[in-house]
Amino acid sequence: MNVLRVSKLTIAAFVLPCLLLYVCLVFVPILVSFYSGLLDWNGIGESKFIGLDNFKNLLFNDPVFWPSVKRTLMFALFSMAEIPVALFVAMMLNRYVKKPNFLVSSYFLPVILSVVIVGQLWKTIYNPASMGGMLNQVLETLGLQSWTHSWLTEPKVAMIALYFVALWQYLGYHTLIQFTGIQNIPADVYEAAKIDGAEGFKADWHITFPLNIPIFKISIVLAFIGSLQAFDMIMVMTGGGPAHATDVISTHMYNMSFLSMKYGYGSAIAAFLVILCLVATVLINFVFTRLERKFT
Amino acid sequence: MATMKNVFKLAMAGTLAVSLSACGSGASNNNSNAGSSTAKPDASAAATPAAQEKKENVTITFQNIYVDPTDPKTGVLKKIVADYEAKNPNIKIELDSLNTDQQKLKLKTQAASKEVPDITIVNPAAQMKPFVDAGLLAPLNDMVEQNGLKGTFQDGLLDFYTFDKNLYALPDGNNIGVVYYNKELFEKGGVQVPKTFEEMVDVVKTLKSKGIQPMAIGEKDTWTGSFLFMNILLRTNGPGFLQQVVDGKKTFNDPAFVDAVSSFEDLVQAGAFQEGATSFDYNAGENLFKTGKAAMYYMGSWATGGIETSSVSSKVGVFKFPTVKGKGNPDEFMLAPGSGFAVSANSKHLKETKDFLNYFMLNYPKEAFAVKAAVGVGQKVDGDYKAAGYSDTAIEISNLFKEVKGGDLSFDNTMNPGTSQGHLTSIQNLFVQKKDPAEVAKEHQTAYDTNKK
Repeated sequence: MNVLRVSKLTIAAFVLPCLLLYVCLVFVPILVSFYSGLLDWNGIGESKFIGLDNFKNLLFNDPVFWPSVKRTLMFALFSMAEIPVALFVAMMLNRYVKKPNFLVSSYFLPVILSVVIVGQLWKTIYNPASMGGMLNQVLETLGLQSWTHSWLTEPKVAMIALYFVALWQYLGYHTLIQFTGIQNIPADVYEAAKIDGAEGFKADWHITFPLNIPIFKISIVLAFIGSLQAFDMIMVMTGGGPAHATDVISTHMYNMSFLSMKYGYGSAIAAFLVILCLVATVLINFVFTRLERKFT
Repeated sequence: MATMKNVFKLAMAGTLAVSLSACGSGASNNNSNAGSSTAKPDASAAATPAAQEKKENVTITFQNIYVDPTDPKTGVLKKIVADYEAKNPNIKIELDSLNTDQQKLKLKTQAASKEVPDITIVNPAAQMKPFVDAGLLAPLNDMVEQNGLKGTFQDGLLDFYTFDKNLYALPDGNNIGVVYYNKELFEKGGVQVPKTFEEMVDVVKTLKSKGIQPMAIGEKDTWTGSFLFMNILLRTNGPGFLQQVVDGKKTFNDPAFVDAVSSFEDLVQAGAFQEGATSFDYNAGENLFKTGKAAMYYMGSWATGGIETSSVSSKVGVFKFPTVKGKGNPDEFMLAPGSGFAVSANSKHLKETKDFLNYFMLNYPKEAFAVKAAVGVGQKVDGDYKAAGYSDTAIEISNLFKEVKGGDLSFDNTMNPGTSQGHLTSIQNLFVQKKDPAEVAKEHQTAYDTNKK
């Protein structure tokens, strides 16, 4: 630090404005939101302080809430399970493709599409065959009539169909992150391994995987947070329906705050979501600290 | 993170709205200043009495939901505003045009900080009640008496915007629920316009067996199915079921309600609606009918304009929703009083705003008629539709209006928002699952019990 010949005061002077802005725009609203969660309020008129009643109802009396938490967590699990696949793809690209940049960017393409477009695209793919749904038409052509579904409207399959869209959209994203991580591993490490007789998957297991763990962690955290944000795609494709079958925490929060006009209750859900995010981040950090220690 | 983002968005929307309106009024004041000090048009100078010229400049914010430039009503709005500004050079009307969903969200954000624009849009009855209860809207009783404005509205329409004898909004429309049908597809299927609900179910079965899609619906938007369901309930119970529930005279377990659910399920189970209906939004559902892919479409009469400009326009007919199990009166309709213009109680220019709205509503029917958009206007319209070049469907609908003998409002216009959401979900579920009607009734009662206050 002594290269920076500036006083701590100067540093503070430069950091403070940004920090203040951050506190005002991020922390204050979170606190306000926690407070709103203690109110019986429709968002417009008079509010009434009711203590923890909203939270009590949320945790014990809301038939929609826990299933929506389960779906959100499943969403997170699915998107985390995607990351090893992304790592595998990145490894293959790194090893067997001479000029991988083009392939990487084509995998990345879905990420830059607007979620609304992705939603509309997959809606036409998932439509029933009679309405021109591509997936069902393909299944019928292959003689697999019994496999066809009304993907987005059957309560049992709708959520799985949505998980899949998210996987499709973000595979390229994680592949890119992993690919960059792999490329940053110095080539001489592999050469040294080769001399010691480790090649191919053996080298991957002992070199690529451990050296890529920090990158792995970034992907996992991003995937987890991203899947808690899955609001927009679900809103476009099913709106949480049919009959709550695809509701996640964020859509439930939106419905309660803005459609049922229970702003206080919606804020309680929001508070829960913040806590969930914090817990998950701490947990992921804990697991990865141990992993890193074990492998290095 | 998602929450942070949402909270952040809300906060930003709030500040944005405030800062926008602040900037807007500043800038437009300058504009009108410049206008009045430099070149004033002779005509308006002559029309304005000398005393008025010294009036301070006023900017009125007019939030509205006329965004579609192809909709003739957007032109009507702009024309009346321009006329008024020409007659009152010291007044500037600033339009804040948003689509319906955005407007609803923006207004709620503004209302939370008591920054309601001078004129805004609210939905009738139960949906505007929270705004009235919070004291955000100004009563318009004295204003509708001016220039005979009150008399231009259809009888009883203003009741939906009146609370404790105070009128809080003026509606731009009044619509009824009707069944549109495609004559060509009916002929191809060899079926007649059904006189009873049971015939309607048979028509559905016949059309289905001949490979014709019987009905279209955009049930992702949930209110669409509810609107049709409520018409069935209107037949099995007669008008006012929800009010009877609120008054404690009936519960959702009432036989009339259970009957309506089972009849509705008959229609769904007969295969009336397209596959995957719950993933079709309002526009996608309507498009099936407008492109000739479905034989029937139940919707509010506001759909007429869109159907008229579609490819099936010449083949479309309309019929009243039939009786159910011999019960009900087809002249009782699902009524859909339009969104209303309301004035902010905290408006800085309350008097000018009311004057403008008075002028706006007085001229509205005339201007709407001139651009063939008068079907479904909430005020009395003078003029010969046929001579003015309206289509047969439009004339058919405007004739139906004359036969209206009361009816019901949609569920979410009558009930509190919490119960409404429960109801909408419960009805949407019937599109994908067959359920015991008694069970559905119980779901409704539970939703009502947990949400009433």
